[in-house]
Amino acid sequence: MSNLSLFLGCVAPNRYPGIEAATKKTFSKLGIELDDLEGASCCPAPGVFRSFDKTTWLTLASRNIALSEEMDDDLLTICNGCYSTLKEAETELKKDSGLKKEVNEKLFETGHEFRGQHDVRHVIEYLYQNIGVDGIREIVSNQLDLRVAVHYGCHLVQPLKEAGSGLVTNDITFFDELVEATGAKSIDYEDKMMCCGAGGGARAAVQDATLRITEKKLQNMIEEQVDCIVNACPFCHLQFDSGQQDINKNSGTNYEIPVLHYTQLLGLAMGFSPEELGINLNSTNTAVFIQRIKEGFVTA
Amino acid sequence: MAQSEINDDTKNTDEPRIGVFICECGVNIGGVIDCHAVADYAGTLPDVIRSSVNKYTCSDSGQSEIKQAIKDNNLNRVLVAACTPKTHEPIFRACVEEAGLNPYLFEFVNIREHCSWIHMQEKEAATEKACELVRMGVSRASKLEPLQSNEVPVTNTALVIGAGVAGMQSALDIADMGYKVYLVEKNPSIGGKMAQLDKTFPTNDCSICILGPKMVEVARNKNIELMTYSEVEEVDGYVGNFKVKVRHKARYVDVNTCTGCGLCVEKCPVEVPNTEFNEGIGTRKAIYVPFPQAVPLRAVIDKSVCIDCGACSRACSSNSIIMEQEDTFSELDIGVIVVTAGFDVYDPEPTHDFGYGLYDNVITGMELERLINASGPTMGKVVRPSDVKPPKKVGFIQCVGSRDKKRNRYCSSFCCMYALKDAQLIREKYPDSEVYIMYMDMRTPFRNYEEFYDRARDMGIRFIRGKPGKVTENEDNGLKVRVEDTLTNDIIDLDLDLLVLSVGAVSSESTERIRQILKVSRAADGFLMEAHPKLKPVDTTLDGIFIGGVSQGPKDIPYSVSQGSACAARATRYLAQGKAITEGITVEVNPDICVACGICVPMCPFQALSIEDGKLNIIKALCKGCGTCAVACPTGALQQNHFRNDQLLAQVKNVFTFEE
Amino acid sequence: MDEMTGENININEQLKEASTNALRCMQCGVCSSSCPSGRHTSLNIRKLVKIAGRSSDILKSDELWMCTTCYNCQERCPRGIDIVDTILKIRSISAYHNIILPEHRAVCQMLLKYGHAVPINDDYKIKRTEMGLEELPETVHKYTDSLNEVKELLTSCGFERFTEDNTDENKTMENTA
Repeated sequence: MSNLSLFLGCVAPNRYPGIEAATKKTFSKLGIELDDLEGASCCPAPGVFRSFDKTTWLTLASRNIALSEEMDDDLLTICNGCYSTLKEAETELKKDSGLKKEVNEKLFETGHEFRGQHDVRHVIEYLYQNIGVDGIREIVSNQLDLRVAVHYGCHLVQPLKEAGSGLVTNDITFFDELVEATGAKSIDYEDKMMCCGAGGGARAAVQDATLRITEKKLQNMIEEQVDCIVNACPFCHLQFDSGQQDINKNSGTNYEIPVLHYTQLLGLAMGFSPEELGINLNSTNTAVFIQRIKEGFVTA
Repeated sequence: MAQSEINDDTKNTDEPRIGVFICECGVNIGGVIDCHAVADYAGTLPDVIRSSVNKYTCSDSGQSEIKQAIKDNNLNRVLVAACTPKTHEPIFRACVEEAGLNPYLFEFVNIREHCSWIHMQEKEAATEKACELVRMGVSRASKLEPLQSNEVPVTNTALVIGAGVAGMQSALDIADMGYKVYLVEKNPSIGGKMAQLDKTFPTNDCSICILGPKMVEVARNKNIELMTYSEVEEVDGYVGNFKVKVRHKARYVDVNTCTGCGLCVEKCPVEVPNTEFNEGIGTRKAIYVPFPQAVPLRAVIDKSVCIDCGACSRACSSNSIIMEQEDTFSELDIGVIVVTAGFDVYDPEPTHDFGYGLYDNVITGMELERLINASGPTMGKVVRPSDVKPPKKVGFIQCVGSRDKKRNRYCSSFCCMYALKDAQLIREKYPDSEVYIMYMDMRTPFRNYEEFYDRARDMGIRFIRGKPGKVTENEDNGLKVRVEDTLTNDIIDLDLDLLVLSVGAVSSESTERIRQILKVSRAADGFLMEAHPKLKPVDTTLDGIFIGGVSQGPKDIPYSVSQGSACAARATRYLAQGKAITEGITVEVNPDICVACGICVPMCPFQALSIEDGKLNIIKALCKGCGTCAVACPTGALQQNHFRNDQLLAQVKNVFTFEE
Repeated sequence: MDEMTGENININEQLKEASTNALRCMQCGVCSSSCPSGRHTSLNIRKLVKIAGRSSDILKSDELWMCTTCYNCQERCPRGIDIVDTILKIRSISAYHNIILPEHRAVCQMLLKYGHAVPINDDYKIKRTEMGLEELPETVHKYTDSLNEVKELLTSCGFERFTEDNTDENKTMENTA
């Protein structure tokens, strides 16, 4: 089994450093070494850059993967968007040797090469497959008594390369299982598998409309009285977190659901403090949530 | 086995004298290939006596020309370069046979599919290639030898597998022509899916009312031996001479003394869901009579849930319960086989299509059929599974599991019609109800079908042209369906009390089992494959075996009945003649070279080979001439007639010419 | 990868190639009724697929950019049309002909300048240090050589055409439409 390099992307290190810290801390506690991927760039973001030019998108993506290969590491992403880009690039280049040759001609100029000997992993699927739900349960020291609205996002589960999973996608449970391994309860809510609205360059293009999509999800979550949202993608994280602020400003509502990346939830269950995990840095006011964590939601 | 001489082969010796006929096939070939150039070239080849061009060689005049040429030029080989042997080889073989030549001294070169049709833009190159193909054909033709077809006697009995409406029709037709028919049905009663339906489109006739008399006819017909609750286990042999082993499953009831009175059913304490006839709605007992109009009307015990309490035995006034009964077997001698094994209804549960299996009030069309049927589990009341109350708003979604790359690619052909029918029935029974049909297309092709669609619209059934993207459950277990009406460009959130999925047919597991026993081919859509999609819709590539009904592909009742009769007609050809001719292209063994190693035996897909008394035995009537065994033979003792090594190698050697 | 060197390839040809399997659409509406964006915007993905490959009007549509690429439609399409992938290819053709929203152009400029679509700023540098992390993450932000590599690659891909607003080319686009 290969070692892992940590691919940070953009939103996590530059807007939600808590997610970066949480990832490093939780993996350290799990005993898994994460190598820094020095000089990595934007993945590049699938929604915008794949919309403009496939060549650019593929070239930058393969450079990022090449950096990881040069360290003999598999690449670990913490973001659905980065996963979509890097996994798709990896798959295409591994399949099409002509394309690989074309891309490598450009990469050679900068001293890099895509070899296709390593894999791109997403932190959620990595934890599920390599550590397992039982492995997570073992390492959890603080059972979290939380009602969680799990948000898979889109690119963690779609597009499926095999025949589709049916129109009501209630059969996917791996993320819920990981969440429940921390002691929390994954609450079913309407349209759970729906997109947050941010992707595909839509957030930049039609932000108001995307916020309406987000608000629908928030409303459905509130109906089930959840304590927080747990996601697998910093972009969804951004959309939900700063999105609530924007929605409140625009519509005079009062959304205040704490938003956590899975690594932050896992960190809490491992005994790290909310501050160590950067939960207090959210745009949404998390003071109440943090207080409850310190008081009662956590049973050692 | 009788060998019959087909013709006098005095002309079939020594020096080959080949006649070549190049066909223009109108413009199919002539528009690309310079046929005269090919004919001229052919004339220069060794052993070719004469060479000419025809516009349509298969026409009467073309064939006459061939026959005349054989006579005039004392030809003993004929080569036609034309279209495909698949359709035309029999014609030309018959033609040369009429002129006194052994039909296997005929060589067919395909210069249409293999040349003109694929090289339409390269006329010169295509002509050159045609010359090369003809050269190869000529070299093989020189090496052809006369072969004899086999004639086998035909046992004058038929086996029909599956007693749904198609099978019943087939059995009745064959029986009425005076032949004995064994009708085998895996369920305890005949009738198939049609017996489960309420009404039938486009007349809205009560299904069992029209089927019932046919079922009784089948039971009464002196020539039909009905074997219900039975399955075909093994089939050996070949056309006219099939040996069939049938298992008769134990009912634990004596069918000769049981009257179907149902007292045993009343007393039985074990109740389980009725999965067989009522699609899981309502219950049946461990001992049960399949349905009120069952033929035969006899009880059967499901031992997997029976607790052996003896209540049924005590209740029975004719001592018909036999708990120690065992499966029995029959060995039948059969001449021809008809497969009408029916289908399964598409199951949306594993993939939870549109919420099926997750939400109570989403049901399939077949489940609705049972609800609406007057002798069904709710005595004809359409009710919501969640609260057993009649629905006010019912919606149908069409093409569930059909016309979908991610499910089944094909159209199941009858779902539009049955949805229209059920929608009408609901509107009739519940005039206050609102009924919606969400469709992509409405397919109503046959007599009175389009008028049926008119009627549905006139009754106020609402049509939404769109396939839904999402179904969620409301608080009262109602459904919220999100669909775009693509004709008005409105995205609608439709609230319904009951959602019916118009599911299609899929090929059943039992059909697959039969298929593998008989070695019938399967088409890409999973159903049984016919020999020719246009001209042989009920034949298979296996002589003496015919397929019909939905096991050959989704179809409605009239079409199924037609195919049942078609199978009977095709099958009875053999019964009426009392004999069958099988192809002369079989395999031959040279006993001097054969060492009886037995490598060939398991290779044969048709089980035509066996080692007996240290010698290889070939059942010619089973041999399909596939050549697999000949390839496997390590000593070369086995040679495939008409495709012998020397014949094929002659072709190979003449692919290229070499300059000295 | 013809898109970038397609100077001589007619736009309609490019669109046809991008939308090859969109032609088999039977307008069933599963896509539009599954679309999360469609509820809140004027995007009707069914209508977009209808004109994909048939009309270059699609390049002018605002709706082209409202798709969040959630892939619901592509997952469920009964004809197996790669709807999202087609939208992305058509967007490329659009972008190539200088039809890009100013917001997206700004993101391109970020990538070219910083190597990140969402670069760091002073506020977040502070937040990082508060977390016990280094001020700059281990990305191109910290390693200028790496940033230069990225810039080199972007240049070799001709990326500048997306960061500059070439209004002359805009006129050419209208003429060929």
